Formats: sequence, C-alpha cells, structure tokens
Amino acid sequence: MAGLPRRIIKETQRLMQEPVSGITALPDENNARYFHVTVIGPKESPYENGTFKLELFLPEEYPMSAPKVRFLTKIYHPNIDKLGRICLDILKDKWSPALQIRTVLLSIQALLSAPNPDDPLANEVADAWKSDESQAIETAKAWTQKHAI
Amino acid sequence: MSAEMKSQDSDNDSDYDQSDHMDEDEEDFCGYYDNDTDDLDIDRPKKTDDPEYFEYELLKVEDVERLLNEDVEFLCSCLKVDPHLAKMLLQVHQWKKEFIMERYKKDPAKFLVDSKITPAVKYKSAPLGVQNTCSVCCRKLPSDYFCHLSCGHVFCRECWDNYFQVQILQGVTSGIECMENNCHILVPEDFLCRSLSKPELRDKYTKLSFLDLVNTHPQLRFCPGPNCSNVVRAKDTRSKKVDCAQCKTIFCFGCGMEYHAPTDCATIRKWLTKCADDSETANYISAHTKDCPKCHVCIEKNGGCNHVQCTKCKNDFCWMCLGDWRTHGSEYYECSRYKENPNIANESVHAQAREALKKYLFYFERYENHAKSLKLEEQTLSKITTRIQEKVMINSGTWIDWQYLLDAAVLLKKCRYTLQYTYPYAYYMEKTARKQLFEYQQAQLEAEVENLSWKIERAEITDRGDLENQMDIAEKRRQTLLKDFLEF
Repeated sequence: MAGLPRRIIKETQRLMQEPVSGITALPDENNARYFHVTVIGPKESPYENGTFKLELFLPEEYPMSAPKVRFLTKIYHPNIDKLGRICLDILKDKWSPALQIRTVLLSIQALLSAPNPDDPLANEVADAWKSDESQAIETAKAWTQKHAI
Repeated sequence: MSAEMKSQDSDNDSDYDQSDHMDEDEEDFCGYYDNDTDDLDIDRPKKTDDPEYFEYELLKVEDVERLLNEDVEFLCSCLKVDPHLAKMLLQVHQWKKEFIMERYKKDPAKFLVDSKITPAVKYKSAPLGVQNTCSVCCRKLPSDYFCHLSCGHVFCRECWDNYFQVQILQGVTSGIECMENNCHILVPEDFLCRSLSKPELRDKYTKLSFLDLVNTHPQLRFCPGPNCSNVVRAKDTRSKKVDCAQCKTIFCFGCGMEYHAPTDCATIRKWLTKCADDSETANYISAHTKDCPKCHVCIEKNGGCNHVQCTKCKNDFCWMCLGDWRTHGSEYYECSRYKENPNIANESVHAQAREALKKYLFYFERYENHAKSLKLEEQTLSKITTRIQEKVMINSGTWIDWQYLLDAAVLLKKCRYTLQYTYPYAYYMEKTARKQLFEYQQAQLEAEVENLSWKIERAEITDRGDLENQMDIAEKRRQTLLKDFLEF
C-alpha cells in the first residue's frame, strides 16, 4: 500500500472493523483504490432480499473529488441507468471532501428505499414509475428476483 | 398603398450610415443625452423609431477591470466594508449595487447570512490542542497547520490547498463552498489565494475568475468573434444587435449568438439545434419509406412501380395501400383500393411525417438560400469596387459619384440578413392572422430586396435616383417588419 494516502488507509480499516449493516466493501487485492461492494436491498423496498454488486473507485484526487460508483447487478430503478450509473447529488456537484465511502454507500442504500422519479437518469423507468407506480414496483421486484437473488 | 409610401417617405434617412450612428451612440452612452431635446438635428429620425437601436459600448479587458474595481470601491465606501467582502457581495448578487446597499443597510448580519458569507450558527469545534487530526486527510498535525472560514469548520492548510487546486483544474472559480458536508459558506477570494501554493494555478484562477465575472455580469458580454477579447457593455440587457468595431462580428447581446432579428433568442436556439441534429432524418425515413406489411422490414421505394416485392420475405404488396398485390388484378400503377379504402392508420402517420418534412424544408431552403446569397454578396461588393475603378478610369463619373453603389451593396446585405432570420421565425409561428401579416411583409421585403439586387448589378450613374429610391423602399420594408414583429 505504498503511497496510499492515510485517509484511504483509515477508511478501509474502519470499513473492515466496523462494517455498515447490509453493506460490504472490500478493496481489490491488486488495487487498494478499487472496492468490490455489495448492498443488500432494504426492507420494504422492491429490492428486498436482493444482493446488489457494485464497483467503487477512488480517483487520484480523492477525497477532493467524489468516488466513482456503478451498479454491476442489473436493477430497475429510475435513478440508475442500464449501465449501472447512479444519479445521486453527492456523487456529483454536492460532493464534499468530508464525506466518505461509508456515507456514499449509505446514501445509495437510501436511494433504493426512496426512488426519485423526478430526477431521473433512466427516463423510461422514471416515466413508468410516474405513470403506474404499482406496476413499476412489480417490475422492480421481478428484476430483483431474476438478477439479484 | 400610397398612404403607406407617404408615411415611409416622411421619416426619410434612417440608419444607412451605420458607423456615424454608432459613434453617436457611444458618446451618448458615456455622457448624457435627452431624447426629447435633440432639436439640433431635426432631420434625423428619433432613435426610438429605429427598431434595432441599441446603446452599448465596447470595452477592452483593462476597461472592464477598472469598471468592476470602481463598483467594488463604490460599495466599500458606501457600506464601510473591506474590498474582498464588497466584491463577494457583488458577485453573489450579480452586481446589483442598489439591491445590495438596500439590503445591507436594513440588516447587515442577516444579509451576510443570506449571502452565504457568514454562518447562521457558528460551528464550535473542540479547541485545538498541540496535535490535531484533520478530518479530510486523517493526519495528525500541529495546530498552526489548521484554518477555517467564518463557519468554523477546521481543516489543514494542505487539504484546503488541494481542494482549491482540484476546483480550479475543473474550471470552477466561483461559488466554491466550505469543505464540510452541507456547509454552504462561500470561500472568500483572499482566503483561496492565500491557501494556493502553486503560482501557476493562481494565474489560472485569476483568468478564469475574470471570465466568470464577465459571464455573470448582466451588463457585460464577451464578443463571440474568434480571438476577439472585447467586452460589450449595455445598460439595457435585451436581445439587441451589437457590431464589434474591432473584429466586425455582429451578434445578439441577449444570447451572444449571431444576430437573429426578428426571431427571438429561444426560437433561434431551437431552430439552430433542429438544423444541426438529424431529427429530420427520422422524418425523411418516415416520409420516404414504408414498413413491409408482413415482415415489417423498412423499405425505400427505388422505382416508379407500385407493385413492390419485399426482398426479405418476398411478400408482394401495393405501395399505395400496403394491401396484397394479388387483389389488384389488372390495375397497374394506380391503386383503386387506395381511393376506396385508404389505409388511414398507416397513411396518416406517413402523411404527417411528410407534411412536417415538407414544412421544415420549405423554411430551411429559404433560410439557407439567403445565407448563401449573403456570401455571394461579398463577391458583389468586390465586383462593385472593380466596376467603380473601371468607370472612373474611362471618366464616367468620379470616385465620389459612385460611392452610393457601395452603400447600396451594404444595405442589400443588411436586408438579406434580416430576411434570412425571418424564416425560423415564420417556421415556429402559429397559423394565425398574425402569421399571414408576417408572411405578407416578408414577401414584400423579398420582392424589394430582389429588385434592389437586380438594380445594383446593372447600375449606371444616371440611375442613381432610382436606385436610392429602391434602397429606401427596401430599408423601409425591413424596418416595418422589425417594428411590427421584433419582440422585447
């Protein structure tokens, strides 16, 4: 881990010692800036019981710029597109150096509980969500069954 | 019609002499003037009569800096605050001096909180010990390595430095907030400059922040001309015509794009995007192709025969009605079934697409044609110069006698330019009586412009009166159209 900033070392240690419930984040053997992440679908959400894989990368400027996070598991969500990219303000203009990997992943977990179709990334999904929410939730459940379990 | 002509004659002499007119404007802008008592020159039309009249001045970078500094100093002395604070207030509130003074005088503390300069509640951090941990880099450092903004969130100097470097490299110079999550206190310029360790980034910051100042200042706009550093200042921030004296670029003050009267800024943006993207390609496909009724592959008809065989599924069908060809019997090339039983569902979609394409192409061809003609008029101008020289050489009038021809060519360009931009306007207009009037005036202007163009190409010195009359008519038509349709 030569040349790895102290901040990243500290964060990694804490993620291992005090893991967040429903979330795992393991650094890659060969790259300490690349994390293999899993997020468990929150209770009472269409993603319940699903295990979603994500990848998280800390760029050179981290923590002055935000980590890059992407879903690897297919998910039906208005703020996540088919490439797994996430529309979340703290990953973009609302990033603050005081935020951490832990807070980012918690926010992503919260996004699964509270989809926001008014600020969509996947337009078709957002339209479906707005026009027939119960049908959209059914589709999200079906996708969870098919891809995340 | 004669009455109309008369009224046009009465306010003769409009703004042919653009350059003269412009100098006047600039002087007026700096000094004082009263439109109503402009009685020294009675013949000149009132400035308010010209629909394109606009007061502005061209500034160099140094002038802009001086101007902005004057604003800062003015605010400093009025509010008795330091220059950094004054500049921040001006930036946050788009240089609205009166607004800032009024609000600051009413309740300075609240105003600074609203302006994100001071916090509503100051964050109380644990008192700094000899060694402290920076929450961003997690390093333990002596207390003099730490600093904070007015909000009290403490971070080490190196983290502040890195933070600003990343922001500047991303092109962000204004609205940079405290590093703490959800703290929106703005970083003052002096704090930023003190923290930055790399001199080259300080230069970059100065440059970028100047661009930002001009771009956010409602009265200022950079000339969009290539390699032109001029800045235009206008007190009246509308979509009006600006003519850069240095690089000769003509642009709209409102949006910075090519001048586009009578079309407004939003419409011209829509039009240019439409022309640039291929939304019409999709329409073309709809208009010129049909899907095979059996296998739904997209088919473009490549011959005159309406008996089409799909190359994919070998289905024989009629292009007109999309029905099975066998039912057509001996009737060739003409589909009687179409007349009896038009395939409404299919046809209407195609018909709509075709109609939309036809409409767009109608306006686009005319818009494009004037753009091309305008380029050709550049050649006309040089041809005229050569012709004048020839005429003068054979003693057919003096050089001065022929100058009117150059004026005419300049006017012709101006009229064509306006005509070009009437087409996007008409394209987006609703089918109303107003559109009828617009298109009537547009046609009138078209006719007069073509007359003028014809006369310029064939001018002899003896026709001067005739040509000048034609110039006047064309310009009057142009002005009438702008007066009636240029919206503010």
